[in-house]
Amino acid sequence: MTARRIVLLGGLVAALAAVPGSVARQEDPAPAVLVSRQLADREGLRVGDRVRLSADPTGNGAEGFRIEGIYEPMADPMRFAQSRLEARLHLPDLLALTADGDPGIAEPITTINVDLVEGADARAFAADVRARLPGLVARPTDAPNERTTTFLVLERFHLAIAVVTVVGSAVFLLALMVMLVDERRSTVGILRLIGFTRRRILVQVLAEGALIALAGAIFGILFALATEGLFNRFFQWRYDTPLVFLRITPAVAAQSLLLAVPLGIAASLIASWTLLRQRLLALIRR
Amino acid sequence: MSRAFRFAWLSIVRQPSRALLGVLGIAAVGALLFDMLLLSRGLVLSFRDLLGREGFDVRVIATEAPPPLGPPIDNATSAAAAIAALADVEAVSQIRFLDVEIAGSGRVDAAGLETTASSDLEFIAIDPRVRSPWTILEGRDLAAESSGEARPLLVNRLVARQLDLSPGSAVTLRGLCGRAGEALPAVPFTVAGIAEFPFDDERAKTVGGRLEDVERLCGERADDAADALLVRSRGDADATAAAIRAVRPELHVATNEELVERFSRVEFSYFRQISFVLASVTVFFGFLLIAVLLTVSVNQRLGEIAALRALGLSRGRVVAGVLWESVMLVGAGGLLAIPFGLALSAWLDRILRALPGIPVAVSFFVFEPRALALHAALLAVAAVAAALYPMRIVATLPIAATLRREVVS
Repeated sequence: MTARRIVLLGGLVAALAAVPGSVARQEDPAPAVLVSRQLADREGLRVGDRVRLSADPTGNGAEGFRIEGIYEPMADPMRFAQSRLEARLHLPDLLALTADGDPGIAEPITTINVDLVEGADARAFAADVRARLPGLVARPTDAPNERTTTFLVLERFHLAIAVVTVVGSAVFLLALMVMLVDERRSTVGILRLIGFTRRRILVQVLAEGALIALAGAIFGILFALATEGLFNRFFQWRYDTPLVFLRITPAVAAQSLLLAVPLGIAASLIASWTLLRQRLLALIRR
Repeated sequence: MSRAFRFAWLSIVRQPSRALLGVLGIAAVGALLFDMLLLSRGLVLSFRDLLGREGFDVRVIATEAPPPLGPPIDNATSAAAAIAALADVEAVSQIRFLDVEIAGSGRVDAAGLETTASSDLEFIAIDPRVRSPWTILEGRDLAAESSGEARPLLVNRLVARQLDLSPGSAVTLRGLCGRAGEALPAVPFTVAGIAEFPFDDERAKTVGGRLEDVERLCGERADDAADALLVRSRGDADATAAAIRAVRPELHVATNEELVERFSRVEFSYFRQISFVLASVTVFFGFLLIAVLLTVSVNQRLGEIAALRALGLSRGRVVAGVLWESVMLVGAGGLLAIPFGLALSAWLDRILRALPGIPVAVSFFVFEPRALALHAALLAVAAVAAALYPMRIVATLPIAATLRREVVS
């Protein structure tokens, strides 16, 4: 039987050899283990199956376990591209499995999670632990770490791409407005001939530009909302994760409106002004 | 063909501001498209280059989990010897990663006390008789044989700067091999040189030493283990990997190409996916931009086109003129997009390289001729697709009715 490597709790890699077809009985003395859905799918494991786990990559010193349940691992954005081949053991079982015979390190653990009482200062507690137990690392869960840095960098990257897209859109919009305004050259000329002031025409064009920009931005947001689920479902399928990759929040929608509407108004203003500053006779091509 | 080209050229130069805006729009969109094409394979190419620089083409580890996540290879000396005995193998190097701390800088202050600067470092131990995986920047490499009592040590630039070390400086390290808080003996080293370690990120504090130094640093906790065996084959890496698998089936063997393929499929897949999505969006955006510009432009010139048709210009020439117009706008924008895109990629690369754990030598955006060819092909498809509708308008234009409408209006 081929041994497979899986991750047990705090990063220990173990060899797994499944014993298919053996159904657990009530009196089965083997210790219980939970396996991730991904591991169960990949190895064809079911609740009640017996498996042998070893801390040695060669499979030496393997112990028998009974699959008590299958769980969905907590979605982790830092590991979404990796297959979650994991198992969870009771701590004593894991310690027994990994003991290396040295009595000095009979109970090595990776992390101790501490839940403080309501209102306690996590930073002060962490500092106190560091002072009392030199050599250990203690930090609040909300302290900046590699994880937050990663997402900050990705956020900056996405923002940079958004800026480039907005620049491209602005040029596109300006080109379009120049053409649309040019199409109205004779209309503007006639309006000027019958007494409309430049200011009044400009205000009208501005209002029109604002309306078009607002309508465009709202359409864009609605389009994003409509395709949000599609994108999420694709990436959730692709990476086998319940993580949400795309979320149109009110803040994102407001940001889009705040960018799009002023850009639209500016584009119509620039395009209209190039036309309005021309002499009346030039407008009516005389 | 040349007449149609001239017809398109005259249409464009008659409205330079409109054409310029169209070209600039395509250049902005094209720059983003070009960058996404560079991003789609940039990490893979960069990673392949990084692995190749070490001079080894096969890696042997204990499990699929890469070091330091996975367990080390036990009895590494015999495993290395078994692999080195294979006919396909030119050289084998054991490599060991170890956490160490500075026990003392070796300097004394004004009061005659040794100054200390506790700082966690990563100690990479190799067999100096085999080619080193790092590049010496200053000083010399580790000597294969001990020339005196002091053990040679290589430090990276960050360690050298922070601890004010240079070749010849003394530094004392303490291994962090046992339980937290367990005190292991301090081991004195002499800095032999300053080196660039291939997988260092901007914050990495790395030092390099000899395998035999691990025994000193870890005391009785030292064991005959290696985190990886780096193998240089005599030719075919795949054949060498197969031969190693045959003699040591319990070990995980991967060629550089297999590692690159795995990273491309798993670790780098996010950037590949996002580049695919953004490249698709930008191509569509470029298509939309040109399609709208050409359609509005053609609609504004319907009377003129009908008049030209009435004067004898063939349908094919006018239709080809619209296609040429699209090709010229997209072509000019696409060409302009390349320098824009390269400048933009440098900016985006600086942003992404701030990701933790990314080696300094890795780039997210790497130029390759394939990206340029794909960029040209995608823009060409967008240009042709964008021209289809305005071409249809021109092709089906009723000459008499259009001229009449033009005169009446």
